[in-house]
Amino acid sequence: MSNTDLPLESVPLSLYVHLPWCARKCPYCDFNSHAARGVIPEREYVDALIRDLEFELSDAGESRPLRSIFFGGGTPSLFSGAAIGRVLDAVAARLKFANDIEITLEANPGTADAANFRGYRAAGVNRMSIGVQSFDPAHLAALGRIHSGDEARRAFAMARDAGFDNLNLDLMFALPQQTQVQALADLHGALALQPEHLSWYHLTLEPNTEFAARPPAVPDADTAADMHDAGCALLADAGFAHYETSAFARPGLQSRHNLNYWRFGDYLGIGAGAHAKRTAGKDLRIERRARHKHPRTYMETAGTAEAIQERRVLAQDELPFEFCMNALRLHDGFIAEQFESRTGAPFSALSPMLAQALRLGLVEPPATDAVRPTEAGRRYQNRLFELFL
Amino acid sequence: MNLANIRNFCIIAHIDHGKSTLADRFIQYTGGLEEREMTAQVLDNNPIERERGITIKAQAVSLDYKARDGQVYQLNLMDTPGHVDFSYEVSRSLQACEGALLVVDASQGVEAQSVANCYTALEMHLEVLPILNKIDLQNAEPERVADEIEQVIGIEATDALRISAKTGLGVAEVLEAVVLKLPPPKGDPAGKLQALIVDSWFDNYLGVVSLVRVINGRIQKGQKIKVMSTGKDHEVSMLGVHTPKRVFKDALETGEVGFVIAGIKDIFGAPVGDTLTQAINPCTEMLPGFRKIQPRVFAGLFPVDAEDFEDFRDSLSKLRLNDSALQYEPENSTALGFGFRIGFLGMLHMEIVQERLEREYNLNLITTAPSVVYEIVSGDGEVRRIDNPAELPDGSEFQDLREPIITARVLMPHSYVGPVMQLCMEKRGVQKNLRYLGAQVQLEIEMPLAEVVLDFFDRLKSVSRGYASFEYEFTRFQTADLVRLDVLVNGDKVDALASIVHRDASYTRGRDLCERMQEVIHRQQFDVAIQAAIGAKIISRSTVKALRKDVTAKCYGGDVSRKRKLLEKQKEGKKRMKQVGSVEIPQEAFLAVLGVDRKK
Repeated sequence: MSNTDLPLESVPLSLYVHLPWCARKCPYCDFNSHAARGVIPEREYVDALIRDLEFELSDAGESRPLRSIFFGGGTPSLFSGAAIGRVLDAVAARLKFANDIEITLEANPGTADAANFRGYRAAGVNRMSIGVQSFDPAHLAALGRIHSGDEARRAFAMARDAGFDNLNLDLMFALPQQTQVQALADLHGALALQPEHLSWYHLTLEPNTEFAARPPAVPDADTAADMHDAGCALLADAGFAHYETSAFARPGLQSRHNLNYWRFGDYLGIGAGAHAKRTAGKDLRIERRARHKHPRTYMETAGTAEAIQERRVLAQDELPFEFCMNALRLHDGFIAEQFESRTGAPFSALSPMLAQALRLGLVEPPATDAVRPTEAGRRYQNRLFELFL
Repeated sequence: MNLANIRNFCIIAHIDHGKSTLADRFIQYTGGLEEREMTAQVLDNNPIERERGITIKAQAVSLDYKARDGQVYQLNLMDTPGHVDFSYEVSRSLQACEGALLVVDASQGVEAQSVANCYTALEMHLEVLPILNKIDLQNAEPERVADEIEQVIGIEATDALRISAKTGLGVAEVLEAVVLKLPPPKGDPAGKLQALIVDSWFDNYLGVVSLVRVINGRIQKGQKIKVMSTGKDHEVSMLGVHTPKRVFKDALETGEVGFVIAGIKDIFGAPVGDTLTQAINPCTEMLPGFRKIQPRVFAGLFPVDAEDFEDFRDSLSKLRLNDSALQYEPENSTALGFGFRIGFLGMLHMEIVQERLEREYNLNLITTAPSVVYEIVSGDGEVRRIDNPAELPDGSEFQDLREPIITARVLMPHSYVGPVMQLCMEKRGVQKNLRYLGAQVQLEIEMPLAEVVLDFFDRLKSVSRGYASFEYEFTRFQTADLVRLDVLVNGDKVDALASIVHRDASYTRGRDLCERMQEVIHRQQFDVAIQAAIGAKIISRSTVKALRKDVTAKCYGGDVSRKRKLLEKQKEGKKRMKQVGSVEIPQEAFLAVLGVDRKK
């Protein structure tokens, strides 16, 4: 089977918009973010985004409706409601929106502004993700965050007031010097706000970050694992389903945008350093692209092929890994048909790896055509993914 | 070329004492290569040789030198392997020469390997010309080192040339001395052909190429020749010399050195030390000194991925085309599957083979700890040899067990005698002789080879801060009280982790081994129990606690490349791991037995 058998219409499409500036760069963050010096060139950047989108669509037209849009950063909440509105209008003028489209914007409690929040909502944003990370002043300081726990609570209330009925909180655990009691206190703090969704990440010291250069004293692996187990139990009791490695949601309120990544859907990516994955061309090849990371270079080149810093067509033999390292993050895994329709490769391409995973007890025995990670498969996820390399 | 105008010589030097630099200077000086053709260290043309600064295969260059007497001389410089593992190869190179330059770093002094090679050269009646190199260095002490050469080696060195191969100082005088002080070859140009095979290697395009020294007669293109040890006849298709560029000729005359290609399929058809003669009316006597090479150290090598076994077999046979010392036979380990038991000349040889297999043939291999050969005498007096610890039967099943003993000579400055002696005693050494030679001391000691294989080189280097040098030769097999130390991983005996140790050290070894294994085996999805046992008795244990979680928390949806790199790196780290039962055992664990003493 070749990629030409891939029915493009069955691959859902999303859009990622990267807004690269932050008030200040956090020491653990390895995303493409740049400390804003003075005023953000908001108008200029939005112009660039629109040119970039235009270019992206001129390259190969797009008839599929968008299922979701995600404004990520950096700190998107540094942008005004009007600016976000301009972006969304420009997108709407060029692409169809699915009826139930999910449009998320990331906000930092330290830059929360009621008027902006109302502006986002008015512009069509219907979900907000608030980067709380912790409620504990010592841990917030260690993480270099620009806000307090109370400010996070206020930002949450502000979002509710602005009309957002679908809110996510980002939290982290295994923070410098954190105890299990403190980690659970953070979760209690988050639950008290009654969000629809929680992203609860194990803090990792990523290369090329301040933390990598000067590693803080974080809890050891066993302590972190205890925190994780206790936290998962707590969230389950609170009615949150653990549906992906670090994602927890109330029933029916999973993040559609992230689900699309994990289910190996397509996504356009505009903005500095934005990554995209798209099935396109006569032979329906899957291509990954990344835009220039630096905002200045990006703005200068947006609208031309120059803005693309990296492009890579996935080879047939990369598809098992590319697909599985996403799909097996989901507790429900995937079904055979999904693999075939998203990659164009036959399910049998996975057979040797799945057989090995089964032997190692990392996936459930194949009762139906679903492939699901076991408890061990979730715990030793990297092991599982490695099998597909 | 007239015999009187030929000089065949080699350079004896310790690693880093400047042999290759001097050889390069000769080539430059005599115009063997244009300036732009010189890559540093022309003679060591295998990348591993160049990186390690050692020579594995012998090479020779033929240089035309116009001496001060106005005559042109043919200088044939033989390169010699410079390591204790390759002493037989060295002796063959020396046999092809009438003279040797002993190059000594004037800032360092004489060291054991050079001394050993020098003795061999003197025994073979070579004229040895001492040369003090690196006199441009500030800490050069030519007087002291000259004195040392006289004391240690016993040759006149007061007038030794003082040079710097690096700057070129004195190089011209060396060339003159080669002509004036080294004797020309003897031999009978009209006699029957006798040529010594100094080295043979396999060339993908030419087949087997042999470096030969014509002792008597001449060898020419189209001639039918006989390889005396095999009795096989071949026709010479090409011959010539390296200048160091390859130059084809019609004949090599008595006294000359050059290469011969004669349609020989593999290097076993032209073994080092063998004699070439004419096929018709051949001579009857082989040149002296030929012998079959005996590997002393054995290790099991296993492909990490069982599917690579056939590739591994192919690679070994290819490698063997160029390495007649390499011996191997299939080995089946319950823990590691199918692989090969490979015999090596010594530890360096083993490292080189391993590196080449991985680098040039792209194989992923697990190497077991090297072992020596033991002799077992069974109840009925029958003697058999084992080279694999896992094969050692229970003590009740044999009458006697013997291990190989070597005689080692360690040369070191006075101040290190104490620590070196202590190390040798710890390694079950028996002192035979201690000689004070100027600033240096020579310790002669008998030791079990097994202890040398263990970690002696590294320890010697560290206790003497690198100043002690070492060479050895096999002496005899000797009865010893030895036991097999088994290692059990999660209750299963892992044959590839077995080692043979002296009974007195067995408990300490067992304990250290468990500790080290605990350090090198990564945490897995379950607890891993490690036990050391002698027979049915567990003498030590340790546990690698289970890993709780191995997860990448955040996967920035859009960008999979970073995550991919991370996993690839993790997987790369596991390349040298072998799944034994359900436990992943890394390469280091198999070599842990070598390092158990090092922690002290």
